[in-house]
Amino acid sequence: MDAVEKANAERQKRWAKDQKVGEGTYAVVYRGREAVNQRKVAIKKIKVGQFKDGLDMSAIREVKYLRELHHQNIIELLDVFSSKTNLNLVLEFLDSDLEMIIKDRTLVFLPADIKSWMAMTFRGLEFCHRNFVLHRDLKPNNLLIASDGQLKIADFGLARDFADPGYKMTCQVITRWYRPPELLYGSRYYSTAVDVWSVGCIFAELMLRTPYLPGETDMDQLKTIFRALGTPTEEDWPGHTKLPDYVPVGQFPRTPLRDLFTAATADALNLLGKCLIYEPRKRISARDALHHPYFFALPYPSHPSKLPKVSTQTPSRPLEEVDGNVDMNASGPGVKAAAPNRLKRKLTSPGDELSGRPLARRLDFTQKRV
Amino acid sequence: MIAGNTSKDSAEADNSPVKKKNPLYEASTQYRNWRYSPERLEAVRTQLNAAAVAKIRNTFEADEPGSSANVAFLSASEEHLLVKLYVSKIPQLCGHFHFPEEVEATAITYLKRFYLKNTVMDWHPKNVMLTTLFLATKTTNNPISLEAYTSNIPKTSASDVLDLEFLVAQSLGFEFAVWHAHRALWGIWLDLQSLTDLPEDLRPQDIYEIALKHVRASRFTDAELIYTPSQIALTCLSIASPLLSQRWAASKTASSSISEPLSELLKDTLGAINAMVTQNGHPPDIESVREVDRRLKLCKNPEKVVGSKAYLARIAEEERLSERKRNKKAEDVRRALGEGADPFGSDLSDKEQAKRLAELDDDD
Ligand SMILES: Nc1ncnc2c1ncn2[C@@H]1O[C@H](COP(=O)(O)OP(=O)(O)OP(=O)(O)O)[C@@H](O)[C@H]1O
Ligand SMILES: [Mg+2]
Repeated sequence: MDAVEKANAERQKRWAKDQKVGEGTYAVVYRGREAVNQRKVAIKKIKVGQFKDGLDMSAIREVKYLRELHHQNIIELLDVFSSKTNLNLVLEFLDSDLEMIIKDRTLVFLPADIKSWMAMTFRGLEFCHRNFVLHRDLKPNNLLIASDGQLKIADFGLARDFADPGYKMTCQVITRWYRPPELLYGSRYYSTAVDVWSVGCIFAELMLRTPYLPGETDMDQLKTIFRALGTPTEEDWPGHTKLPDYVPVGQFPRTPLRDLFTAATADALNLLGKCLIYEPRKRISARDALHHPYFFALPYPSHPSKLPKVSTQTPSRPLEEVDGNVDMNASGPGVKAAAPNRLKRKLTSPGDELSGRPLARRLDFTQKRV
Repeated sequence: MIAGNTSKDSAEADNSPVKKKNPLYEASTQYRNWRYSPERLEAVRTQLNAAAVAKIRNTFEADEPGSSANVAFLSASEEHLLVKLYVSKIPQLCGHFHFPEEVEATAITYLKRFYLKNTVMDWHPKNVMLTTLFLATKTTNNPISLEAYTSNIPKTSASDVLDLEFLVAQSLGFEFAVWHAHRALWGIWLDLQSLTDLPEDLRPQDIYEIALKHVRASRFTDAELIYTPSQIALTCLSIASPLLSQRWAASKTASSSISEPLSELLKDTLGAINAMVTQNGHPPDIESVREVDRRLKLCKNPEKVVGSKAYLARIAEEERLSERKRNKKAEDVRRALGEGADPFGSDLSDKEQAKRLAELDDDD
């Protein structure tokens, strides 16, 4: 065995893979353990062989950034190893995500709880931005929650760095409801402000317990934003009518945030408003947000261990689909390498992503079993 | 991740003119895992070469006793020479594709790092070079399709690149982020714009261009494996304009004593980098590399030559091992699902069994 293969085999031995716990767009996630101490981990297995252009960009981005970023509020990448043609990312195991918590109707959020989640989100984000990394896909489902209550930014599959300010980038990022207006208008020169808008939407969602700006199409997204925050004027946002995909979508008056967020403090609304400023350059930075009076006013943020948690831990995260890699009719061992006609993992289109999780599709093996 | 492109990131390492360190750079995988002393670098290459020669010699002998006696294996420095030749091909290809400098610099770093973990007698640098470049387009977020890539390079197929991509990524330890000297130079350059009272006849733009040329030359050397991006950038600036580099360093020192702005230690470092860049900062002599490449044909590892007897034997052995592993795992599962598994003796439903089997990973 080559030295490189040997080193990989050593790494692989450190981790035991248990059962599958979830499935994303380009990976299957397993629960696992660290061999020496039984510490629980998540093993994200990315199939490499299936991409005609080799290692897939999402996998590359995720590995590239997580290898460098080490912070309490960013998911920890513990190790990377390969098995055959699969890439395995060993991540700290995180029980739930903020989406599950928001949706769990049995939980009551105190203002101090929301402040705590927001502080942790901004801390993680400020660290990304300080390292010149844009996340570009912030949403409640990508903010994972550890068993001690710590919030961790995850899913760096869309991240990139912003070395040269003014460098052209794609505007097709960020799940629609959390996407800022400059991207909806096709701006190619954007920066950290895009992530801050997303955090603003998450902040609002924590207070409302329902998505704040749920547009149904890209066009409708703009309308939804303007209906909530008023159509921007040239003064609010100089030059926006010159953006590549600019279209007028109607005149809506600006309604005060107070009308919708009736229970929020003035500080909270002030910060929220600053996250949702139209002009990206005027939008608050993650660093300034951390110094905002909201975080220093009473009530103080809840200690992470005191935060609401999802009540039912079983199943901690729903299985979406069972992998079709078992041949029940074979006479040999029940498990074999991928059959040629195995089920393809379902790819979610951006549309699907927004209409909720893909419906669970379970295979019924009972009929076939010999 | 990028090298410091703001003023406060431009100075780092113990011997920098400014005592303040750069915590971002020091947390990087580059700082932690890819920096060597010159002696260490030498030792790594020598050991790697010795191990490779011993192994290939064994393979030759296993095939036909006595057959390795007259093989002239490559030395560590000959391997290095060949790698250097392929380093010099990367800027040519990047020019052809109009890739940004980031891609070029990153691919070169990958190629050098790869051969700190592998030997050219196992993997010829030609395809490794093509693979590192393709990988670098992706890791720097400048992807192009494999089709567009290979169809523009003569005699290159998709598999020449894809077959090695995983090995390359693995050899890099999946550490894709690289801090580059040209970025650090850019940071210094931005700082220089705010310096006042420079001599009238000084042409900073020209100096920057010359310094950048030296940074590019430094890529042919080991500098990036030994020194920090800022040290290399500052050296290259000092070659282009000693005055400007002194002024920059002075502006970074708290007590701007212009007479003695650089510490002795930093002077030594800059001197060492300067020597490297001016003496070795160019492609190797083609004739001497040709001789090495000719000998490589005779001493390359037969296990890596697709279709050879040794290659087939290795593949068969690997297949046998993984088959055994699969069988054992399946057996373990069946036992676990069988009688002994549940202390309360209640049967798992068929469905549950199927689910457990389905949840098992299929490859290890
Ligand atoms: N660190 C983790 N700890 C525990 N479970 C995890 C962890 N990471 C992911 N999971 C589980 O695996 C599932 C798939 O995760 P993944 O990040 O691959 O995709 P996703 O975020 O669900 O979807 P997408 O790829 O579209 O963003 C998650 O929904 C979750 O159930
Ligand atoms: Mg996700």
